[in-house]
Amino acid sequence: MAPCRLADTGLRAARVLAFLWLIVPAAAPASSPRIATLDWTLAETLLALGVTPAAVAQVDAYDAWVREPELPADVVDLGLRTQPNLELLADLEPDRILISPMFANLEPRLRRIAPVDILSLYTPETDTWAEMLSLTRELGRLAGREAAAEQLIADTQARIEALGDRVDDISTPLLLVQFMDARHVRVFGDNGLYQAVLDQLGLDNGWPGTTNYWGFATAGLEELAGIDARLVVVRPYPAGVEERLESSGLWQALPSVRRGTTITLPPVWSFGALPSARRFAEALVTALEEADA
Amino acid sequence: MPEHRVRLPGLTPERICLLLAGGFLGLVITSLHGEAGLIEGLAALVAPPDDPTLRAALHFSWWPRLAVALLGGAGLALAGVLFQQVLRNPLAAPTTLGVASGANLALMAATLMAPGLLAVGREWVALAGGGLSMGLVFLLAWRRGLAPVVVVLGGLVVNLYFGALGMVLLLFHQEELKGLLIWGAGSLAQNGWGDAAFLVPRLAIGAGLAWLLLRPLAVLELNDASARSLGVSLKQLRLLGLGLAVFLTGCVVSVAGLIGFIGLAAPNIVRLAGARRLGPRLLWSTVLGALLLATTDLLLQGFTGVLPTAIPTGATTALLGAPLLLWLVPRLRLHQGDRPPEGGTSIGQRMARPGRLGAFLGVGVLLAALVAAAVGQGADGWHALPPDWDVLQWRVPRIAASAASGVMLAVAGAIIQRLSANPIASPEVLGISGGSAIAVIGGIFLLSSPDNLTLVAVGTAGALVTLAVLVALNRSNGFLPERLLLTGVAITAVFDAVRSIVLAGGDPRGQQVLAWLSGSTYYVDLPGALVVALLAAVLGLAATPFVRWLDILPLGAHTARALGIHVDRSRLVLLVLVALLTASATLVVGPLSFVGLLAPHMARMLGFARAGSHLAGAAVLGALLMVLADWTGRQLLFPQEIPAGLVASLLGGAYFMWGLRRV
Repeated sequence: MAPCRLADTGLRAARVLAFLWLIVPAAAPASSPRIATLDWTLAETLLALGVTPAAVAQVDAYDAWVREPELPADVVDLGLRTQPNLELLADLEPDRILISPMFANLEPRLRRIAPVDILSLYTPETDTWAEMLSLTRELGRLAGREAAAEQLIADTQARIEALGDRVDDISTPLLLVQFMDARHVRVFGDNGLYQAVLDQLGLDNGWPGTTNYWGFATAGLEELAGIDARLVVVRPYPAGVEERLESSGLWQALPSVRRGTTITLPPVWSFGALPSARRFAEALVTALEEADA
Repeated sequence: MPEHRVRLPGLTPERICLLLAGGFLGLVITSLHGEAGLIEGLAALVAPPDDPTLRAALHFSWWPRLAVALLGGAGLALAGVLFQQVLRNPLAAPTTLGVASGANLALMAATLMAPGLLAVGREWVALAGGGLSMGLVFLLAWRRGLAPVVVVLGGLVVNLYFGALGMVLLLFHQEELKGLLIWGAGSLAQNGWGDAAFLVPRLAIGAGLAWLLLRPLAVLELNDASARSLGVSLKQLRLLGLGLAVFLTGCVVSVAGLIGFIGLAAPNIVRLAGARRLGPRLLWSTVLGALLLATTDLLLQGFTGVLPTAIPTGATTALLGAPLLLWLVPRLRLHQGDRPPEGGTSIGQRMARPGRLGAFLGVGVLLAALVAAAVGQGADGWHALPPDWDVLQWRVPRIAASAASGVMLAVAGAIIQRLSANPIASPEVLGISGGSAIAVIGGIFLLSSPDNLTLVAVGTAGALVTLAVLVALNRSNGFLPERLLLTGVAITAVFDAVRSIVLAGGDPRGQQVLAWLSGSTYYVDLPGALVVALLAAVLGLAATPFVRWLDILPLGAHTARALGIHVDRSRLVLLVLVALLTASATLVVGPLSFVGLLAPHMARMLGFARAGSHLAGAAVLGALLMVLADWTGRQLLFPQEIPAGLVASLLGGAYFMWGLRRV
């Protein structure tokens, strides 16, 4: 309570300045609308289109999990994705708010601040890659960057095609996992980003089981024992897990670990869109080539 | 010691164990046969690790998992017998005493702040956390000579408090802590013999010590005075017994996670089957606990691979155990029968003129609401008056809703506390919040993108179903307060299990569930707030005709009957009122709130003794607490918002512990 003192002149001056600051960009010819988004996947795509969102939810978590493309420092943090700070958001006066269906329950409230668009990705029973492309085009349209969207799609597809050519001779199926603790992993499969990239690269996924709505399954290490596939571990490891794996009899006995063919990849946002897909493709192909060299 | 009204006919502990052992061996054989053939499977038990893959999986995963299940079940059951013996409470268990949540919180904190500690040893971190929380419980109960009721009460409060702290960490760090969610749901998956080797010597030492303590502990079955006259230092003995139980729990919990139900079920089943003396109870409970956990785990493994997510064993035992608990409750004869428990209700002095203090508190609520409406933060920092009064469209509904839900929870809590003459009673304990929460979780996961109205409808249905279960199970015993509470505890256990399973699956929608569970006014809009305020007013006023009942019922059923009250009917009416109040409040601020426990208690401590003033005082305090909690939660970590329910829990819990120490 201490910082708020009634009728503080300094504060009032600051408020006037801030007000002016809000007025000025609106008065200037707006090249692209001020966009706020709760979703990191939409945020990374916007950045890839050359649009800096005015506000994003959970900026620190974006920095930890999505990492690239980097969020500029002047992007305002809206708080939790599930509960963005409405007072702050209203104060920022965005022209448009973009969300994913996961936050659809917020839509009636957000609509009172600015027009809301719900953009979906990873809808079950649809082709993830195609959905990713239409998401990019839709974002391009909303942000007034149609050309940039087509460019991003063309660049990404060309790049992934080139990467795919470099792994033409690989026929061993891959098993994409991320550790949750020393005994459990997320295994990625159908309806997920990694699977979409594998399909584009022409690589096989060795996971025979089902996956959930988000394209992964939670599995114990023992469930991997019977699968003859090359393990691809996506970082980060939870604290202490790497050390524990060294002394884990089961881990050491997994076919891929015993043969020494396991590869590890730097962190890539596993629920992302084209930018994450490209990063994942780059990292995977590079690691595969290094391991086989 | 509580006695049982019925014994299971024709069953002895030996026969139950033999029966279960038969089923267990059958499962082991079929399961091994399915994996690799019986001979190969048995060979894998001793196989060197450089063998073919399948045998390695059996050797490093299947067999150690079986061993840990057996050992863990045995350890938890042993700890359960000790807890129940020392506390003379058939429902004492590692999870109800805060040990498990302490261990959980320690692991979360270490993961976020000192990951180096985890490399040294998770088990030690868990052990330290569990020991710390039990130490806190001891500290709270020390002045009362570790009296059973106070220990259980302290355990409950510490549990809620640590649970709330854990929720705060989880809310802001879900991705980092996702592995702990699996542990928290009790997964027995193994990838080597390390954990089994960790457990064997520790459990052996624990069992040995329990054997040495057998005779002194048996004395605890007498009442305090008789035991003291035998020259036994009750305090030291209880401390020793509880310490041993915590050690055993900590060892198992650090390896296998939260598996609470075994420690509760095995001792109770054995006693129902007729084991009376401590020696046989210890022995057979341990055997039964081992078999129960291992059998459940084997059955569950049969389902792995069919479903897209690993089903954690610990949460499942809790889920399976709840019906048994519900069945058990009417068959327990609690020695506190029809009279109010000692201590507890006499907290606080009666005040001569409660009206003045009440008016003062009322003004406090108004002031708090005004401050909460005016003061806040925006894009340009703090303001004492909002630059744009438009902001009130966000603030007013939240202030109104938090005040209203505070009132409802407080009135519900006051009624249930008077009704049961039990200071630990609260709407949450009745399980109504839990029931509606289960329904809402189901709604979030099974319906695609449900809107708020749907969720409200689903939540109400859940609360009503829970109420029906409560009434159906307690009708025959005339709604005895203790029975009712115990039924509520069982329903809450189901809710905990459902929550654990959902969160352990790692589905990103878990975040949405978490956000709601932690009790935020975030999702309230103006019409919603008006409805809630109206409900609070109507239901609050509906309580006033029952003030006479509430003055008399705490005196016990006999007195009430002598004064011409239809005890059963009045209890039923009050119960329905409590259910309505709780369900309405839960839908706004989630199931996790301390206010229903805290506000009536504070009112009592402040001297609102008669039922009328108690209800009114609690209502005003409830509103004040929630408004302050809501505002504080919105400002503290701006722009992130800590849910009001959590803030109320944290502020209230600290106050409650401090107050408990002075009891």
